[in-house]
Amino acid sequence: MRRFEYFRPHTLDEAFALQGKFPDSRFIAGGTDLVVQIKNRELQPSALISLRSIPGLSGVAGDGVTRIGALTTITGLMNHPALQRNFPVLMDAARNLACVQIRNVATIGGNLCRCSPCADTAPPLLVLDAKVRFRNAGEDREIPIHDFFMGPGETCLAPNEILTEILLEAPAENARMLFLKKGRVKMDLAIASVAVLLEMDGERCRKARIAAGSVAPVPMRLPDVEALLESARVTRELLDEIRHLAAESVSPIDDIRSTGAYRSEIVGVFVKRAIEQLMGWSPV
Amino acid sequence: MKRDVSFVLNGLEVTVAVDGHDRLIDVLRGPLGHIGTKEGCGEGECGACTVLIDGLAVNACLYPAMEVEGKQVATIEGLRDEENRLSVLQQAFVDRGAIQCGFCTPGMIMSAKALLDANPVPTEEEIRDALLGNLCRCTGYVQIIEAVKEAAIRLKDGS
Amino acid sequence: MKKFHHIGKEMPRPESRDKALGKAHYLHDIERPGMLYGKIRFSDHPHARIKHIDISKAERLPGVKAVITAQNTPEIRIGFLRDNFALKPDKVRQYRDEIAGVAAIDPDIAAEAVELIDVAYEPLPGVFGPEDAMKEGAPLVHETDPQGRPRTGNLLALRFHHASGDPEAGRRAAAFVVEGEFSTPRIQQSCMGTAGCIAEFDGNHNLTIRTKTQIPFLAQRDFNRALSDMGLRGKNTRVIVPTLGGAFGSGLDTHAYEYIAILLAFRTGQPVKILYTRDEEFAYLSPRQSCRIRISQGCDRTGRLTFRHVDVLQDNGAYTSWGATYPSVMMMPATSLYRVPSVYFDAKLVYTNNTYCQAMRGYGNPELNWALENNMDELAEAAGIDPYDFRRINCNEPGETTPMGLRISTCGLKECLESVAGKLDWKNQRKKGKRRGVGMASLIHVGGGGRIYRSDGSGMILKLDDFGNVNVYHGGVEMGQGLHSVLTLAVAEALGVRPEKVYINPVDTGTCPWDVGTHASRGAFMACHGAILAANKLRDQIFAFAGELFPREIEKNIKKLQKKDPDFKPPDFDVREAAKPERFELRDGILFLKDAPAEPWLQLELGRLLRSIHFRNQGQMLTTEAFYDPPNELPDFEKGYGNMSATYAYGTQGAEVEVDTETGEVKILQMVAAHDVGKVLNPPALKGQIYGALAQGVGYALYEEVLSQEGRIMNPNFRDYKIPRFHEMGFPIELDFIETNDAFGPFGAKGVGEPGLVPTAPAISNAIYNAIGVRIRDLPITPEKILAALKNK
Repeated sequence: MRRFEYFRPHTLDEAFALQGKFPDSRFIAGGTDLVVQIKNRELQPSALISLRSIPGLSGVAGDGVTRIGALTTITGLMNHPALQRNFPVLMDAARNLACVQIRNVATIGGNLCRCSPCADTAPPLLVLDAKVRFRNAGEDREIPIHDFFMGPGETCLAPNEILTEILLEAPAENARMLFLKKGRVKMDLAIASVAVLLEMDGERCRKARIAAGSVAPVPMRLPDVEALLESARVTRELLDEIRHLAAESVSPIDDIRSTGAYRSEIVGVFVKRAIEQLMGWSPV
Repeated sequence: MKRDVSFVLNGLEVTVAVDGHDRLIDVLRGPLGHIGTKEGCGEGECGACTVLIDGLAVNACLYPAMEVEGKQVATIEGLRDEENRLSVLQQAFVDRGAIQCGFCTPGMIMSAKALLDANPVPTEEEIRDALLGNLCRCTGYVQIIEAVKEAAIRLKDGS
Repeated sequence: MKKFHHIGKEMPRPESRDKALGKAHYLHDIERPGMLYGKIRFSDHPHARIKHIDISKAERLPGVKAVITAQNTPEIRIGFLRDNFALKPDKVRQYRDEIAGVAAIDPDIAAEAVELIDVAYEPLPGVFGPEDAMKEGAPLVHETDPQGRPRTGNLLALRFHHASGDPEAGRRAAAFVVEGEFSTPRIQQSCMGTAGCIAEFDGNHNLTIRTKTQIPFLAQRDFNRALSDMGLRGKNTRVIVPTLGGAFGSGLDTHAYEYIAILLAFRTGQPVKILYTRDEEFAYLSPRQSCRIRISQGCDRTGRLTFRHVDVLQDNGAYTSWGATYPSVMMMPATSLYRVPSVYFDAKLVYTNNTYCQAMRGYGNPELNWALENNMDELAEAAGIDPYDFRRINCNEPGETTPMGLRISTCGLKECLESVAGKLDWKNQRKKGKRRGVGMASLIHVGGGGRIYRSDGSGMILKLDDFGNVNVYHGGVEMGQGLHSVLTLAVAEALGVRPEKVYINPVDTGTCPWDVGTHASRGAFMACHGAILAANKLRDQIFAFAGELFPREIEKNIKKLQKKDPDFKPPDFDVREAAKPERFELRDGILFLKDAPAEPWLQLELGRLLRSIHFRNQGQMLTTEAFYDPPNELPDFEKGYGNMSATYAYGTQGAEVEVDTETGEVKILQMVAAHDVGKVLNPPALKGQIYGALAQGVGYALYEEVLSQEGRIMNPNFRDYKIPRFHEMGFPIELDFIETNDAFGPFGAKGVGEPGLVPTAPAISNAIYNAIGVRIRDLPITPEKILAALKNK
């Protein structure tokens, strides 16, 4: 039966202590994924330990390095002026995440810790070279987000570790970025998504970051495409090559939502379109 | 083990004994007898269970009941005015043919309320965005959009 | 043209205020004293023998009141072919098969008990497609027929056949012939309110069941038969229909879960509620029938159709419900959409171990239309004729009789075609290019009932009280389509009272007169005819009494006025002489003489007359009834002949689309829907029906499909079964209602519950072809299919 205890600790120490008492417990943030997983019997925890009442875990702060509390809701992200200004690629993802009801409750930390290959916030954070910070019985650790995703539903976090913050360096002055998502309909899990960040100096690309979602066991960067962009002059003539390389850089699966072939195709098209848009070119 | 949770429901303070696994929708429809909020899917896809918590639209089927402690919860039952008349928004839904089988209606109205409270003059695109999480199988959505637009006009005119 | 008082006016639905307030009570909200909760144990295999069922652990769980299986209950066969069972005895034939039922004090305990039931199976090889099921040596889904005779194959004996004219000669005479094969998937009705029922027995062993049904009286018959099987012969069922959260055809049959609830209620002596959760609804409720259709049509050089040949193959699933009878409706467009002199139609149905299917809005028409209207465009192209012109050349005309024997009274098809072509700026948009295109498709559907049973009748009872209120008892089911609002207007109009004085009672077989069911777009048609008949009888009675009592009441009025004002002198008008029944009129609840001066004291409020009829020696109350059975015929579906409806609704829809050839995404830029409705009864209700149906048509065209693998439903939730939301319906839709004022229609109206979704998919498909030269033949038209087709071009 789907019965469990529910606790609302006020400090991280309390949260860890409860976890010690209930070995089959799970931490819960917004719960919009977790509650569904429990309903479908994918998880059967004996207790849920809510992180929502622990101060300091939500909110956005910082200048040079922006610190986003893991418990910041998706709506909270969207409403924050600094994030809107500096990280539009993350805003694109937030705007396309589910619907208002979900965004008001779901958290960025939850989205990352659910570690679905389709996680909307992941490709933007990958291209932003985000770092994540987590707490482990009094100790804080920080790792690049690239090392965070291990497999579908599996992060690098140990059971007694809690994600606390996402850290973003201020983007370069000449950074341009956006996120594109393809669903079967508007409100959908991504069947393929792409985030692109370019630091352009005329036709020269000083830095390219490209990430794709829903096309691998974890959200991934496309280093070959990045290398191509950083080595060549970025012109319209390069677009076809970029598109093909991007499509070939991923080998997604067939599932009930789409086919691997289609997803690869979309990755190619989206990388091309993202670059077109960021360069201000009219679509070919 | 049940614990008491106290919150404000449609302007009135309530206290109700809640189990850890209870969702807000269980508590609203069960011990609190507020059956206007409907469960259409239990997975946050259909929005029939939309209620407002501190003014924000949420799916009551996904919201742990214990988290509602100290919060302001608004359900469809709270919309009628002091003289038990339909609110402007509810009346607009009735007048514009936005209600057919009615199962999605309470959730739809609550989502619309959250929108109009925060954004009294929404564009059609903003209405669609705000209601994206609410499914309807009967109406094809057209007269719902017309109702929300009409409600916005009436609220602006103070009628 | 008759001018109406209430018909055609905008009127908010009477029940919508309660719905807006959250006060409407659906099955989900109803609790009965002592009610238990039922849950069902479903099969773990698509095809297997049941070796053993152990319910002992489940029975011992605290809170469980009963556990039933086929072993401890009498056999109850269900379905119109009697090939299904409420609880499966020896074999499971689909994942949905109901093996056991549990009643417990709360749903969680019931669900836990279901898990504690141990079932031992001997798995059998399964068949999951009609072609495989028809192969030599294929496993038999049913080894015997319902009479116990051995079966030799999986092909059903049901025959749907039509042959008229000389299709072969028509083929030879054709200058152009195009053949194509098309398929349509299973679709989930996706009502927002899930299915369920509450069954309870009274002390006399009579059953009351509150259930989501569109056929309360046929359900009563079915349940009475089950009572007989349970040893309760002669006992009666009362079917009550609560407010429904949609139905769309899913309530046209009785379901195993209803019989299980009945068995549990009888076993426990307490009311038992079974309510499907959303995932149960997707996995265990019968969806729309799927099919494969091969069609060929030919035309001469002038574009006139010379023949049409249609073969239909349906995956019947494991048991038989109304999905099997889609071909009876398919015959209608096959023979009667556009003029075609020679038609061949044949349908085959095959048992498989997939889910069995039931009715859904359109009932075979959208399926056939998908094939037919795509093929029409292909044939037009082969003949070098514009598709709109092609349709006009073959347009149906009023007064014709079609090869199936359908007698077309009014026909607005020409006007509908013109409307769509005009609003889409057809000629210009066809040439636009730039991956944009326009397409259209038309439809014919029954608009005056649909006789597919021995009776197509519908009763009406109107009961007047002392205050001029009209209590209406009618068996038609309100499921969000607006039946109550139309019936309210019809009674108000026909009787002569204000709509606020009309009260529609809940559907209850104990109180309402018989009605075959709310299907075939017949709801408003029947309700309005019944209202007119019963109201006219009531008017006759009212006017007869008025002849006697009206003068006396007027004299009282005059006396009262004279008391107030002694100088008051009534004009020279002999009320007694004028008071003949045929000279009265009743309007908005006021009774008056047609040729009398329009003075308030010369009028009588209806309630006053009714009280004067009631409160006297040998007083009377006025109640009338009528039973309307339309002038249509039960066709012979093996011959394919019979005028199954009193009138037919035509329509045309058009779409303008833009295709993203890099992603395969289809964007609908606009749609136009022109429908021959006879007469608009209630504008917002009619618009809602068409918009809503159109949205279902868009889902059918682009997004929806029940995915099944080896009999298991792979997308049993809204996450992966995508129905259109606000964004998918974000394009402008223009509606045009053509009023043909049909003599057979009440107030001239035709039924239009279903037409809105019939031609939507082919209209979109034809537009896509115009845009990018690609025609997807298997619904839904997904971006993946478009991209693959573009690559193959």
